[in-house]
Amino acid sequence: MTIDLPTIERLAGMLERSGVAAIEIEEAGQSLKLVMDRPIAAAPARAASASAVDDASVTAKADIAGHFLAAHPWRAKPFVEPGQRIEAGAIIGLVKVGLIYAPVVAPAAGIVDTVIAETGALVGYGSPVARIRPVAA
Amino acid sequence: MIEILSVTGPASVQDLGRFDQVRFGVGTSGAMDDVALRAGNILLGNDENAAGIEIPMTPFKLRFGRDTAFALTGADVEAEIAGRTIPPWWRTQARAGDVLTLKAMPRGARSYLTVSGGIDVPIVLGSRSTQFRGEFGGLHGRPLQVGDILPCASWSVTIRDLGIEPAEITLARSSAAADETTVRVVIAGEYDGFDAATQQLFWQSSWKITPQSNRYGYRLQGPEVKPTVPIEKRSHGIVPGVIQIPPNGQPIIQMRDAQTSGGYPKIATVISADLWRVGQARLGSRLRFEQTSYADALAAETEKSAYLDRIRASVRLVEECLT
Amino acid sequence: MTASDRPRISLLGTSALLFEAPGAFDLPHQRRIWSLAATASKWPGIREAIPGITNLMLTFETPPRELDSLIAALNAGWDEADGLMIGGREIRLPVIYGGEIGLCLQDVADYSGLSVDDVVSIHAAPLYTVFALGSHPGYCYLGGMDPRITMPRRQTPLQRSAGGSVSIGGSQTGVSASPGPSGWHAIGHTTWTFFDPSWQTPAALAPGDTIRFEIERVIR
Repeated sequence: MTIDLPTIERLAGMLERSGVAAIEIEEAGQSLKLVMDRPIAAAPARAASASAVDDASVTAKADIAGHFLAAHPWRAKPFVEPGQRIEAGAIIGLVKVGLIYAPVVAPAAGIVDTVIAETGALVGYGSPVARIRPVAA
Repeated sequence: MIEILSVTGPASVQDLGRFDQVRFGVGTSGAMDDVALRAGNILLGNDENAAGIEIPMTPFKLRFGRDTAFALTGADVEAEIAGRTIPPWWRTQARAGDVLTLKAMPRGARSYLTVSGGIDVPIVLGSRSTQFRGEFGGLHGRPLQVGDILPCASWSVTIRDLGIEPAEITLARSSAAADETTVRVVIAGEYDGFDAATQQLFWQSSWKITPQSNRYGYRLQGPEVKPTVPIEKRSHGIVPGVIQIPPNGQPIIQMRDAQTSGGYPKIATVISADLWRVGQARLGSRLRFEQTSYADALAAETEKSAYLDRIRASVRLVEECLT
Repeated sequence: MTASDRPRISLLGTSALLFEAPGAFDLPHQRRIWSLAATASKWPGIREAIPGITNLMLTFETPPRELDSLIAALNAGWDEADGLMIGGREIRLPVIYGGEIGLCLQDVADYSGLSVDDVVSIHAAPLYTVFALGSHPGYCYLGGMDPRITMPRRQTPLQRSAGGSVSIGGSQTGVSASPGPSGWHAIGHTTWTFFDPSWQTPAALAPGDTIRFEIERVIR
């Protein structure tokens, strides 16, 4: 077996479901340590309370597992800040996987309510990254 | 096809260079930051040698004539297309008629625009790079002008936005000061023609990059570094990276458009693994030289290739994960 | 045998290596360089073997892991190299000496202590041999200049000198094929096409060809 991204995602899913805090595996020439990130575990609760306030809000989700970056490493300013008006497809942040920076994009136009994920935190496939209150275009 | 709407400074079409015509006096040309050009091409699934546009100054503006996937790598630029901001080292999709604007360059010295399939100018003597001195290659052998139309070999693929980590971050080397770039050099033929104190001066100085620095060469300013006795060499071949010491004692680093031969004494050569760092060093900023061995220079080359290999593998992997 | 009898071999980073032959700047030595270039260009891993003035640059396709065997091969190759006789063409080049392009004619006269007319006749007298191509596309380095009109290269190279400039740098002379930076002193100019990338061989002249300068005019 080679440790590829789909494998890592599968393992991350297993960790999440099983409630195990960490897993470490070693293959020839490769080693992998997956640790469940606490702030992320706590995040859904915050997200849930936000949605209780505003049922119409939408969630921007990561579509790949990796570390969240609210700003590009070359930029001091984050991609979005709460209260900011954004268009559908706007970049909310980046998920860093190896040398790749995959964008997390806004599913709809609106006002940024909360950026849930913190810079450096591990996010998984489908992890909520930000909540957006849609505004009719 | 691409139409140039606004250009500042000598922007040009470059691939990796023209490497086997030196015996006719033809220099290599090619991207000053070869790592950035390769990375852009990797992002787009192009051949790494596909030609792109090297943009040394902003503002720069162009219009895409048709739907085209493109990437921006190299210097950090504040770029916008159709109202969207483009992050550094990024690929995205342009729609026919979209205008791309590079507004400012807060970091680095050269931005690279690569397009899906590459800029399709004719191959001249084995390369698409602009040979300024010979006035061939690139687009009519000259810098780009407003109104120029550049053909693209793009196929109509739609790609999703994706970024990669800039080489400057992955291949970072500890630098003494901000606005100072340290590059590794291997000593050259006339190093021993300088006495020990002068050699120390060369290593310990923080060299200022003068405004007379360009694709031909970087002219540096600092303490006078002169050989013990004046050295006048018979003309011999030189390559980009060679640091010559003309009689005024102020070093000149030969760059991509340098002459293929010279006769000034050579104190050292910037290793090819670090030449892109010189290409991204800004006028007015400073350079420092660090001595390295031939073996370590080869290891640095391997490290640079490994970075590009990782990008290639990662892009492929993410492509598979997300489709 | 002293060290100065042996070739000097030095590195140009990891992309090339420079071989400098011992001995005089003359045709017999240059013929051995041409011979060594012909041999070395066929060695594995060598992209090009580029003759300079009694020296040879080898560029690498891929840099060799270790250099000892390459250095040994170059030394042995030099010792074995017979002069390669190239039966080149003879070209006649009309030159306008002095004037706006040949601005340094007077400087060379002053430096050498000769009159302008003497410098011109001394420069135009020999049958020059194209020793090597280099610098910029189509540029030829010529051997055979009279040492009386030697003039050291510039303290600081010029950012731009004209195409077709006939110039002197140290004990060498040559004609530039296109405008560009130069550390040499221009004493005249010629109109001739030295390079065209659409030609089968892009450079008009090759090592071994000979050139005779014809004095078309002297502008004082």
